[in-house]
Amino acid sequence: MPPAGIWIDGLIQSCAYMTMAFGMVLVFSILGILNWTHGQFYMLGAFVVYYAITAVGIPFPLGLLAAGVLVAGLSILVKKIIIDHITGDLYVGVATMGLIFFFEGAASMIFGMQDKGLARVLPGVVDLGSFSVSYQKIAVVSFTLVIMIILFIMLNFTRIGLAIRATAQQPDAASLYGVSVERLSLTVMGIGCGLAAMAGGIIAPLYTINPFIGGIPMIMSLLAIVIGGLGSLTGAIVGGLILGFLNSVVAYHLSYLSEVVLFMLVVIILLVRPQGLFGASVK
Amino acid sequence: MSFLELNQVTKTFGKLAALEDIDLQVNKGEILGIVGPNGSGKTTLINIISGYFRPTKGEILFNGKKISGLRPDRIASRGIVRTFQSNVLFEGTTVIESMLISAYQQYKTNHWQSFFNTRAWKQENEEVVGRVIELIKLLDLLNDTFLPADGLSHGYQRLLGIAMAMITNPSVLLLDEPTTGMNHEEAMFVVDKIKMLREQGVTIILIEHNMKVLMGVVDRVVVLNFGTKIAEGKPEVVMNKQEVIEAYLGTELI
Amino acid sequence: MMTYIDYKDVVPKAVIGLVVLLILLVPIITTNESTLSILILSGIWAIAVMGFTLVLRTGQFSLGQAAFMAIGGYTSAILTAQMGWSFWPAFLLAGLVSGLAAFLVGMVVLRVGGIYFSIITLSLCEVIRIVAQQWESVTRGARGLITAQPNPIPLGFFEINFFSSTVPYFYLTVCLVAFTALVFWRIGESRLGRSFAGVALNPVLAEHQGMYLMKYRVIAFTVAGVFTGLAGSLYAHFLTVLTPTMLGLWQSIQILIMSIVGGIGSLVGGPIIGSILLYTFGSYLTRLDIYGIQQLLFGAVVVLVLLFLPKGTGLVDLWGRFWTKVIWREKEFEMDEAEE
Repeated sequence: MPPAGIWIDGLIQSCAYMTMAFGMVLVFSILGILNWTHGQFYMLGAFVVYYAITAVGIPFPLGLLAAGVLVAGLSILVKKIIIDHITGDLYVGVATMGLIFFFEGAASMIFGMQDKGLARVLPGVVDLGSFSVSYQKIAVVSFTLVIMIILFIMLNFTRIGLAIRATAQQPDAASLYGVSVERLSLTVMGIGCGLAAMAGGIIAPLYTINPFIGGIPMIMSLLAIVIGGLGSLTGAIVGGLILGFLNSVVAYHLSYLSEVVLFMLVVIILLVRPQGLFGASVK
Repeated sequence: MSFLELNQVTKTFGKLAALEDIDLQVNKGEILGIVGPNGSGKTTLINIISGYFRPTKGEILFNGKKISGLRPDRIASRGIVRTFQSNVLFEGTTVIESMLISAYQQYKTNHWQSFFNTRAWKQENEEVVGRVIELIKLLDLLNDTFLPADGLSHGYQRLLGIAMAMITNPSVLLLDEPTTGMNHEEAMFVVDKIKMLREQGVTIILIEHNMKVLMGVVDRVVVLNFGTKIAEGKPEVVMNKQEVIEAYLGTELI
Repeated sequence: MMTYIDYKDVVPKAVIGLVVLLILLVPIITTNESTLSILILSGIWAIAVMGFTLVLRTGQFSLGQAAFMAIGGYTSAILTAQMGWSFWPAFLLAGLVSGLAAFLVGMVVLRVGGIYFSIITLSLCEVIRIVAQQWESVTRGARGLITAQPNPIPLGFFEINFFSSTVPYFYLTVCLVAFTALVFWRIGESRLGRSFAGVALNPVLAEHQGMYLMKYRVIAFTVAGVFTGLAGSLYAHFLTVLTPTMLGLWQSIQILIMSIVGGIGSLVGGPIIGSILLYTFGSYLTRLDIYGIQQLLFGAVVVLVLLFLPKGTGLVDLWGRFWTKVIWREKEFEMDEAEE
């Protein structure tokens, strides 16, 4: 049994991957594109939170909100200026790969390449006998829960949310809810990428921040949505949870082998059951 | 022994039987019509013969050899080639390119000869291009040879589909509703072309919803309803049978 | 989805002659090490990019091409550094091993298409990297393997010496690029290459016309694997050291970007133009002393090319358009006259 700290690390990572994978699968299932820049939106979110706290001095929750809103705006711009003007999912995918370099370069120029760290946004620990948990970590988990609850409410009780869910299952369903496809895809792009930014913002206080932190979470959430089933919203959450723990708890026992196991698992899933754990059968 | 033979072919999807115990004999050189109301299993039949689905039960023999269970490409290279109900094309190619892609399967020279551009390959290539052009002429696509295939009118796209199947030199051609979405005049035009193909010695299985189209072309007709064969025989005879009229009752009879 | 344009009529022989002449004159024009090294590395990438494009021709979008470079690179690096082989047999074996790996992997994973195939290849690429990192007894892990320079080739009174100058390595690369280009050009022109288009454009229709999809996909993947492996070996031995991070997911992405930006309309021209321009552009940008500007501009170029040369027509199409405008018109004119 790994120490409790490892389990908590797993939970924290799960929170980030879950939030991020959810955004990614949302964009994938509505717009039909795999957004390779998702990791860079995560990175930008972390920077927004960092500067919101250190430079502007607003509290962490507000910084998180700012990260979500600003990056959502940015992603909508990306969609309007670039994605809408490229035909073919394949080429949109390549364009977003190009944007990885663009945003990492821009972040290096603007924010610098050195590691930054946010220390003690919420100081203090809760003592639980044999081990202790910092308030910061508790905050991370609770904010993730809040975001998930808000998303749940939005997707289940608002018109646009229902339209999103319907469209995810069956393209062209948006019109049934009286929502234009254009508005729907912009909303989804905004929410999806805003979620990536919030994922980055959530764990910004716990890890170092630099322009290149987006790569690994991107790959991890990609794998998460594959495990959960490409196109399945529930799958993304479960996949994110699995990956977070796999990367910490299983890695504790197997070290690097856990990564090999993970990638091979993904290969086998895609070969045997491409719809993943939760995806409906494609054919 | 008949040319193409289906023995007790059954196909079920879950609990739903799309085809049940179909027995069918196709003679060499004939045009066999298969009719039936929507959902009667016509397209499933083509999908099964062409290998897109495997039969749940039963077997299909071609020239006395079992072909059921083979991959579609194996069945196609044995000479049973189908067309599709919707316009299925190689996207972004021109008419001649589409035809050539299909024709590449029928070369006698091997890939190495083609790779090294040997004389035998060049010669055969010229022959094949000649055949492509001939077929394009036969199906009245000559004016569109260098046009993008997806820019053709609906009817001509169907003809291109037939041409692409024909260029692979099939001995059996399965046509899946070649006249859907056409007015009578266009449909008759396609039917004329189908008659011309028969003169090239190909056996044709023609699936049709529209009985009027069938009447003039087919030698024999098989009527399907709810996945079972309800009648078989000369078209004039079959169409007057009580079961057939009932099956079509409520749908557009002609 | 994809458009294939035949460029063989659009590239006049004079241009090919000019390129050959320029390549022959390179040692006279410049012996500058860094220029030569940029040319060598763009050539190496060009080979890998051609491989990627060949696989793409069968409709498969591989995100694991750098893994085959790694397999080739590690094969020859291990053979030379750990087992005392000389470069030449190790180099050839690198291509074989990589081709074999591509064949075996391809037999299993090529039945899956679309984004699924991309993610599978991406995962396998990462697995290779992790193995290279962790299998320290063979690969020396993150410290990397020191690779040997090719042995001199004696030619009677004269010998080609790879130690004293970069020029022989440049010509070695040119030879491999030219050989790859020749093979790929022939594949593209042959029945095989034309059938690839059918498999890519409409697998279901192709299958029903008698094409065995797996056959074509495995052939393309294996041929690409062989040449990509050879390129990987050249890469490892040119840079004198091979570490696991040198050939990973990022390099796979780079290969695919070079392919799409160069243009997938031709199997040879697009990849070569794409890799030379992007690699040269990238390495000149690194000389600028502003952190991050190289990535920013690189990304911007990629996006701009996709915006203005859509559907993978890429930079090679600029060339095509130029000739279509200038030369094509004359040809048409002549035809009209002949008809009258």
